[in-house]
Amino acid sequence: MLEEDLKEIEALTKVKLKNLDKCFYPDADVTKGQVIEYYIKMAPKILPVIANRPLVLTRYPDGIKDVKLGKTSFFEKNAPEGTPDWVKRHTIYSPTSKRDVHYIVCNDLDTLIWLANLAALEIHMPFATTEDVDRPDLLFFDVDPEPPATLSDAAGVALLLRDNLREMGMTPYVKTSGKKGLHVVIPIVPEYSFDVVRNFVHKVGIALAKQNDLVVSEFKDTKKPGKVFADYLQNSPMRTMVIPYSLRPTAEATVSTPLEWSEVKKGLNPSDYTLNSVPKRRVNPWKDIFENRCHLEI
Amino acid sequence: MEQEHEQETSEQQSTEKASAPAPSRSIWSGSITIGLVNVPVKLYSMIYDKGITFHFLHKTDGQPVKYVKMCTKEDKIIPWNEVVRGYEVAKNEYITFDKKELDAVKPESDKRIRISKFVDYFSVDPVYFDRTYALLPDKSKDAYSLLLKALERTNKAGAGRITLRTKEYPALLHTYKGALVLTTLRYAYDVVDPRDFEKLGKLEEPQKAELDLAVKIVSDLSGDFDITEFQDTYMQRIQKLVEEKLKGEKITVEKAPEVEAKGLMVALRETLKQLEQQK
Repeated sequence: MLEEDLKEIEALTKVKLKNLDKCFYPDADVTKGQVIEYYIKMAPKILPVIANRPLVLTRYPDGIKDVKLGKTSFFEKNAPEGTPDWVKRHTIYSPTSKRDVHYIVCNDLDTLIWLANLAALEIHMPFATTEDVDRPDLLFFDVDPEPPATLSDAAGVALLLRDNLREMGMTPYVKTSGKKGLHVVIPIVPEYSFDVVRNFVHKVGIALAKQNDLVVSEFKDTKKPGKVFADYLQNSPMRTMVIPYSLRPTAEATVSTPLEWSEVKKGLNPSDYTLNSVPKRRVNPWKDIFENRCHLEI
Repeated sequence: MEQEHEQETSEQQSTEKASAPAPSRSIWSGSITIGLVNVPVKLYSMIYDKGITFHFLHKTDGQPVKYVKMCTKEDKIIPWNEVVRGYEVAKNEYITFDKKELDAVKPESDKRIRISKFVDYFSVDPVYFDRTYALLPDKSKDAYSLLLKALERTNKAGAGRITLRTKEYPALLHTYKGALVLTTLRYAYDVVDPRDFEKLGKLEEPQKAELDLAVKIVSDLSGDFDITEFQDTYMQRIQKLVEEKLKGEKITVEKAPEVEAKGLMVALRETLKQLEQQK
């Protein structure tokens, strides 16, 4: 039976899967095989959102280890050596490092399986597509609570932000970061530069800070305890967020999980959304995201 | 005595049915198209290939053997991504294709069973029959029932075509035990015309007396066809052997380390299906 399974897997994907029984999350008792299985299960919800975006990976070749043991992960922008021909790439010149960077683009299941097989537990995406990497098609608010502020506090701020955005005729979407915060994303028509969009997001953040004492809108205030920072700085070329349904390097194998707005409320707990629980969720809250683009009113 | 015997058979039928279990999941959904009329249906597998299967094990340690792809020149095992498909144009000469090229020309399933005409069911010889699928109504039962009754009353079958997976088949839409079923057919190029056997040659006309006798024997032995009169005696003998062997030695396969394979395979199959539907 087993041999037949492997043979069938070989027939269904181009990726040669390796070390499936390696332990990746010791506390949650999750193997590399389960990580790959997770990304396969989530692919129908992931692929439409990340299509045609240059991706950045955080790879954990030996899984999540005790931080005390030192660095166990590395960040990767360039397609690694040995990337198969069938993996799509997009080249962007990096002025800071003065060279071309060949980013991976994941438009199909095989590429996603290949990424999981590379132990890219975390996958990050920019807010623009390969069509024009300088004109964002997504606005991004990182709602990040500083302890003792909690995800519950972030939820309150996100709801206020939602109401403000809706009043402006926008359709905001929300996901947990998988750690302590929330990500609010708005689909827009890609017609302005990142500078314009960043200023817009900043202005919304300032307005929010005036409405709610918890909120800080400036970077210098981010570490003030008990505050929630509405981060606008990520709205820049090739700055990224973790993709929806990306795993996070936490003990419980948490997931950056798209939510329905009705799920954003007090008591929201990131540990409720894990590799084991998220595939069982029936809802697909970001399903229509690219059908609800709006024009920015600058 | 007679009555007792009857009771026994009916009892046997209730515990062990002669037919195979009905599958719970459909493998295709679409509609039967006749001119401008559409009948939405789901297609279910109806044919099993049961019988005895054996696994190959290594004689010395009882572990499963596996097949590998070897390059015949380099005499080494090669991975799947180094395999392409070759079409033999002359002895030892091939034109190669990769999957993309073949995918580009594969027939597209338009999710229709296109019926072009109705024929007498018995005019289609079973030599062309390939595989039979059960059709069940999808959403509305009315159109399905109407088509079923019309075919039953006329003893006709619809001839048409269907695309399943990557292949287009000629197909026959007919009725079987109060349901619409679809039998895919073989193309003419896959079926031999027995007249092409030279050994058959020209046959002599038999003598009339001999023929009369032969006809009489045939009619004396005539009856209704009943599939349950046939038993797979080879399978029964193997099963008996298995039971005997179970009392003695049994080989246990050691669990290979790749225990993850099962869940992965199921997830992969499920996701591929979902992605296909999203298209």
